[in-house]
Amino acid sequence: MATIARAAAKDGLIAPWVEWERRCTQGRRLLEAGTYALTEGAIAAGCRVFAGYPITPATDIAEYMSKRLPQVGGYYMQCEDELAGMHTCAGASLGGLKAMTATSGPGYTLMHDAYGWALTNEIPLVVVDAMRVGPISGITGAPGQGEFYVARYCTHGGNFETIVLSPSSVQEAFWLTIDAFNLSERFRTPVTILTDQVVSDMWEDLFVPDDYDALDFVVPRKHNLVAPFFPLGTADLDVPPNLVGQGTGVCVSAYTHTEEGYDIEEMEAQWAQTYRLVNKIRHHRAELARYETLGLEDAEVVAVAYGADARTVKTAVREARRRGLRAGFIRPITLWPFLDELFARDCHYVVCELNYDGQLVREVMRAAPDKGKVHFMGKSAELHTVAEVVAGLEGVARAGRIPELPYIWTEVR
Amino acid sequence: MNKLAAKYLRPSQIPTKACHGCGIGMIENWLLQAIDELGLKQEDVIFGTGIGCVGRQTFATWGGDNFGATHGRALAVATGLKLAQPDKKYLIVVGDGDAAAIGTSHLIHAARRNLGVVVICEDNMGYESTGGQFSPTTPAGYVTNSSPYGMVEPPFDPCDVVQAAGATFVAETTATQWHQTVKIVKKALQNDGFSFVHVRFPCNENFGAYALGTRDTGKNLEWIYEHTQGRKADGSATDFTWATGIKHDVSNSRPEFTKILRDMNARVRAKAEAR
Repeated sequence: MATIARAAAKDGLIAPWVEWERRCTQGRRLLEAGTYALTEGAIAAGCRVFAGYPITPATDIAEYMSKRLPQVGGYYMQCEDELAGMHTCAGASLGGLKAMTATSGPGYTLMHDAYGWALTNEIPLVVVDAMRVGPISGITGAPGQGEFYVARYCTHGGNFETIVLSPSSVQEAFWLTIDAFNLSERFRTPVTILTDQVVSDMWEDLFVPDDYDALDFVVPRKHNLVAPFFPLGTADLDVPPNLVGQGTGVCVSAYTHTEEGYDIEEMEAQWAQTYRLVNKIRHHRAELARYETLGLEDAEVVAVAYGADARTVKTAVREARRRGLRAGFIRPITLWPFLDELFARDCHYVVCELNYDGQLVREVMRAAPDKGKVHFMGKSAELHTVAEVVAGLEGVARAGRIPELPYIWTEVR
Repeated sequence: MNKLAAKYLRPSQIPTKACHGCGIGMIENWLLQAIDELGLKQEDVIFGTGIGCVGRQTFATWGGDNFGATHGRALAVATGLKLAQPDKKYLIVVGDGDAAAIGTSHLIHAARRNLGVVVICEDNMGYESTGGQFSPTTPAGYVTNSSPYGMVEPPFDPCDVVQAAGATFVAETTATQWHQTVKIVKKALQNDGFSFVHVRFPCNENFGAYALGTRDTGKNLEWIYEHTQGRKADGSATDFTWATGIKHDVSNSRPEFTKILRDMNARVRAKAEAR
């Protein structure tokens, strides 16, 4: 495998891996699948436990992990269900090992029990949801983007914020997975990688650094060995995760807790826990902004998309600009917390996403200066074509609305 | 506070919020006796629980590290912890809901894998913290708040289930059998594999009140004891009998699950290095 030098960072991309790519010069250039990149990114980030249940299109992550983890002294667990999978990850992380699980919509739904437990107990771990069309089993081999809100409200009960990232290429899946692990350590919370069937299944050019141990941007696991185990009422970042098994006396549970982790049924304790779970993320939103933009300086109509769908949409924006349209492009990589500030420009927005009900579009409507200038192009089971998006952008620029197109929904209620 | 509680428990978390006459505290004291007789220290044991009477009343009482999982998932959390902290003893103290209903699949698969943990299933024969509904271990025909005409489902014996699944130590005892319970728990803790101890105990407030018609602790304990003997105080036969004691003991006869994984890793890495 030839060692290659990496090109400079791409324009318009704001993400920590822009700098990482510049610094990583020694590595291998491969033709690999998104699932491979997600696996290798996790291994590079120090993941040593994978516990999950096979499901299309995330199964290949499980298979790659079953091969790779023993090679690096880690553990692959094929559990009896996704409930067990994510709880096992949470247990492993509590025991001091970085952990990841991977699934698709039907399994992601089953994980919400464990997600809430890990989130409340501030346990770092990473969850990959390779979205397919739904609801329920839907079409197993077709891309969907139906879990935009599910990933935000990934457990019941409210009183929390979540971190959700979405890659749009195989290469980005690799770097973003390392980033997801870093954020989960720094914020002491589960992080969801919300990818889709296209990004996880497709094969693409992938650069992988030679020496994972030399990656100084990986946030190592640290251990909190003394009380308070839960810094309630604070929004502090970089609090080391708790460690069960070293006799520190730490307590973790499903209940609203005190600083020691004891269960408590008092309103003041609920306030302090909520302050912690919400504000450790809200107060550090700047640390979480990852996105790509194009042409925003003069755009009158901006296409918005994420994940695999952003690829054809971006091509369409370039084509529209070639045709003389003042078109722009926004690809949020951080989906949650939602990057409201990206939508400050008073212009038209055309939101393309792979669902007919309209999810991302609702957040853009909320964040944009003029809700009336936010348009929806919903599609399902297949990426938007370049021609569809160009037609949408031209329609909005000329007539203020999306033209009628087959299999495209524009209504948001 | 007795000597064992002072040695092992958290003063701020006891006494628990358990109802008057509940058997949970007494059984926990017997667990401490077994731990003490084996010379184990606080830092040697990770204490895991679930949800319901048993989870709520025992969580954070242990002076060492504690976890209280979501309902039924204590064994799934313990599986991950055991991967990361293989040298610890795990005391997974759960109720009949956790072990025999919502978490049964995890119980079965932990037994199949021979995961190195001790499950103490403290069984009050129903969902008592939610007000006394029947569970899969409520005896058939008995009245609870969700079986007002008698429990129509047949119960199952979780000992049979885990033994069939591959558990290497299986025992059944009750809150009326102190010395037997201590002896069993000691043996369970000495098995480097999956140990299951089923302990029936009385609930005065719900099962006692509705199924047996009394909130009297002595009478409820007596009802359990009679069913371990198959004979009532007046000499007549009980409606059914619970056979207690060690039911299956092949302790340390096959490798503990996480050891199998560690050994596999060693083989994989040795092969890679030989290349």
